[in-house]
Amino acid sequence: MKTPQLGFSFDLSRCSGCMACMSACFDQNDMPGDGSTFRHVSRIETGTYPAVSIRYVSLACMHCSDAPCVTVCPNEAISKTAENGIVVVDRDRCIGCHACATACPFGAPQFPEGSFMRKCDFCVARVTQGLEPACVRTCPTKALGFGPIEKLTEEKAKAASVKIVLSFNPNLTAPG
Amino acid sequence: MHRESEYRYQDFEQGKVPGVETGIEVRKTICSICNPLSHCGVDAYVKNGMVVKVEGTKENPHSEGTLCSKGNANRQYIYHKDRIRTPLIRKGDRESGHFVPISWKEALDFAASRFLKIKEESGPEAVVFYAGFPKWMRPFLKRLAHSFGSPNYCTESSTCFRASFMACALTYGAMGPADFKRANCLLVWSTNPFYTNTTLARNIIKARERGLKIIDVGPLITPMTAHADIHLRIRPGTSGALALSMANVIITEGLYDNEFVQNYTLGFEEYRAYVAGFSPGVAEEITGVSAEKIVQAARLYATTKPAAMMNSASPTTHHTNGLQNHRAIVMLVGLTGNYDVAGGNPVVPPAYLYQQSPGLVTREPEFEEPRSWNEMAPRIGQDVHPAWCRVVPEAQAMYLPFQIESGKPYPVRGMLGFGLNYRMWPGQDFMAASLKKLDFLVTTDIFMTDTTRLSDLVLPACTSFERSELKFYPEQHVIWTQPVIRPLWESRSDAEIIFDLANRMVPHDDLMQKGYEACIDWMLEPTRLTLKELKKYPAGYTVKSAKAPPFQKYKKNGFATPSGKMEFASTILRETGYDALPVYKEPKLSPRSTPETAKDFPLILTTGSRLPMFVHSRTFRLEWTRSLRPDPMVDINPQDARTRGIAQEDWVSLSTSRNAIRVKANLTEIVPPGVVNMYHDYPEASVNQLIEADYRDPVSGFPGFKSLLCEVKKLTEGNA
Repeated sequence: MKTPQLGFSFDLSRCSGCMACMSACFDQNDMPGDGSTFRHVSRIETGTYPAVSIRYVSLACMHCSDAPCVTVCPNEAISKTAENGIVVVDRDRCIGCHACATACPFGAPQFPEGSFMRKCDFCVARVTQGLEPACVRTCPTKALGFGPIEKLTEEKAKAASVKIVLSFNPNLTAPG
Repeated sequence: MHRESEYRYQDFEQGKVPGVETGIEVRKTICSICNPLSHCGVDAYVKNGMVVKVEGTKENPHSEGTLCSKGNANRQYIYHKDRIRTPLIRKGDRESGHFVPISWKEALDFAASRFLKIKEESGPEAVVFYAGFPKWMRPFLKRLAHSFGSPNYCTESSTCFRASFMACALTYGAMGPADFKRANCLLVWSTNPFYTNTTLARNIIKARERGLKIIDVGPLITPMTAHADIHLRIRPGTSGALALSMANVIITEGLYDNEFVQNYTLGFEEYRAYVAGFSPGVAEEITGVSAEKIVQAARLYATTKPAAMMNSASPTTHHTNGLQNHRAIVMLVGLTGNYDVAGGNPVVPPAYLYQQSPGLVTREPEFEEPRSWNEMAPRIGQDVHPAWCRVVPEAQAMYLPFQIESGKPYPVRGMLGFGLNYRMWPGQDFMAASLKKLDFLVTTDIFMTDTTRLSDLVLPACTSFERSELKFYPEQHVIWTQPVIRPLWESRSDAEIIFDLANRMVPHDDLMQKGYEACIDWMLEPTRLTLKELKKYPAGYTVKSAKAPPFQKYKKNGFATPSGKMEFASTILRETGYDALPVYKEPKLSPRSTPETAKDFPLILTTGSRLPMFVHSRTFRLEWTRSLRPDPMVDINPQDARTRGIAQEDWVSLSTSRNAIRVKANLTEIVPPGVVNMYHDYPEASVNQLIEADYRDPVSGFPGFKSLLCEVKKLTEGNA
């Protein structure tokens, strides 16, 4: 049987760059407010005046299947959980060498107040109790979601097919 | 390096999941960091009497479990080191900033006796009662002012929504917000609900997904723009010309609602003749929007039925011609037959504190005005802003510093301020200097600020988590909040402070003497709700029996204007000596109106549009929100930056003919070439000092915050 894997979903068209996800994460994790953050929101601008598009992307730890941070950690402080594939850090083993930060393509490992590594743990304690990760719960436009990766992929495919069907039948989009 | 403290470590590992194991209990309240259109429901996670985490209340039908970046920072707001802990009395002069603690009884006795003495010597009108943010204490403060006999109750709304309200009042008597859930087209005129009213934003996306057409008007690219079919990217301050041109197209092409215009309006022929001068070609010259796009937008809005218009409080009125511009905009609603119809802009009276809750109306207006205006002196600035005083039930606060300075027509000597911030005034130093001239200034606030430091007496208020308040939501949901923690230190709820002052200052006001909760019950009477009942529902109660008012009420009742009709030509404006028609005028400072000034200051400065993590000055002191955008930054188009040799995050000077501030450059396509945008309230780079105190709309008194002239130059110091 395949190892279960939890993941975040993100709808680019709904994100407004409001950073509620970041501050919810600060509150959940008692972050010091020194700029360290488990989630990053970036503004992506394409084109120049007058043909411009501005979008926002919210990214946290991707909890990679083959996580480079796990591989490079010299003290085996980072691992993937068997139950849900979350990448977690054992801060008692962390020596603060920043090797994980160098290896991570997403800027996930953080060192709040110059201390040992901390990162997004998917709010795993909440999730196992049936609650959402703090960032997902707060998202005002519902751009963020979460769940088992397989289910998220399925939902994405379904949403895309609904969009195609609707584009053929304008009556379906008329208000009821 | 250090390991986290045991306490924090433990909570973090357990994910702060509520329960017996963690000792965390969930209690219900609301967030009141931003405006009353939001006030999202909050689940406060409380452990040992302390809030350890917040999240949105799922069962709140308005906020649906969500919070914004500000709301999530409530803990840093509540437990901030700058909170005022006890009443403080100033020792030494106003510049000294030296205060010593005194007891509540001493503070209240002292405040009341000084205000009563001023009343005795100079009349009640010499005392001003002012409410800034948040707004929740307003009904009680206004009642106190009027009971005391002062017509000078004024608020932050004097530069927020009162001008757009005034434009609607002059034209229709009243207008309601966009009913976009039932609309097929939405005309969004310069508002970005994604950063100010996230419930609206969420519902707009929903409506968009079922096919709602959206036209977005405004110089900036906001998150709203990404959802629009058409973006009319006007030059700041030219809304009026665009609206008049859309009317030109709609009338010329016969797309207007002839039946409505013939039967229910005044001055249509005059208006038709005036808009004839605003062909799309002419408007293209003024606004910078192509004639083709103007025609396209006018047709889409006029022919898609029903169509709703969404405005904000102030982006269209923070201009020197703002009031008339806004009138030109809202006239499109009546012209196209979308006034008070389903899916257009239906009229629903507010239930309580500006918030509508269809079918529910309280006695708030009656409560607030226990005395008729005729029994009181003229308001501050009544001779300067006569049209304002005909339709707005408060004084124009923007005129306050001018009357303090001149002492004409009567002196202003005392002031009781709640959430007063002098930085809100254009030429903020002028307002600060005026406050120093008062004989007696009392401020109530949560934090010690630059304004409270100028006071004679400072009173500590508590946050929404520490008090009880009444809140209505548009989903016919009502909540009477109950404190989730005890007020910190000696802080108290603003309402309690007002009622304690009422004991001393207006002993003749029988209703106020009955206390806070009795007054709430008195206002609630028409809704048949009582506090006794509401207290049973800590997360709020949805009134299922409330029935929304009918549409097209004007057919039976007429309009609440002097003519009883929708007024294209305003009777009140004519009587008070202004243009009766929505005449377009250039901003007093613009490349077209002042080409000489534009030689030295070629860029258009627009200020005050929202960032998601700040609301005015309110969350700058919190590390969590501040860290999301630590430095004051001016948005400048990459083209304009290039010609000035400016790179991303270079330190630059942002200057006008009045003053300059030091900020960083943010190169972005959010602003078009020729326009720069500056957030207004970075404490170290407050943009209002760049604006003259009298740079105001003569009709509404509103400052021209959103269109003036400036220059941006790279600084030699601080840059690599």
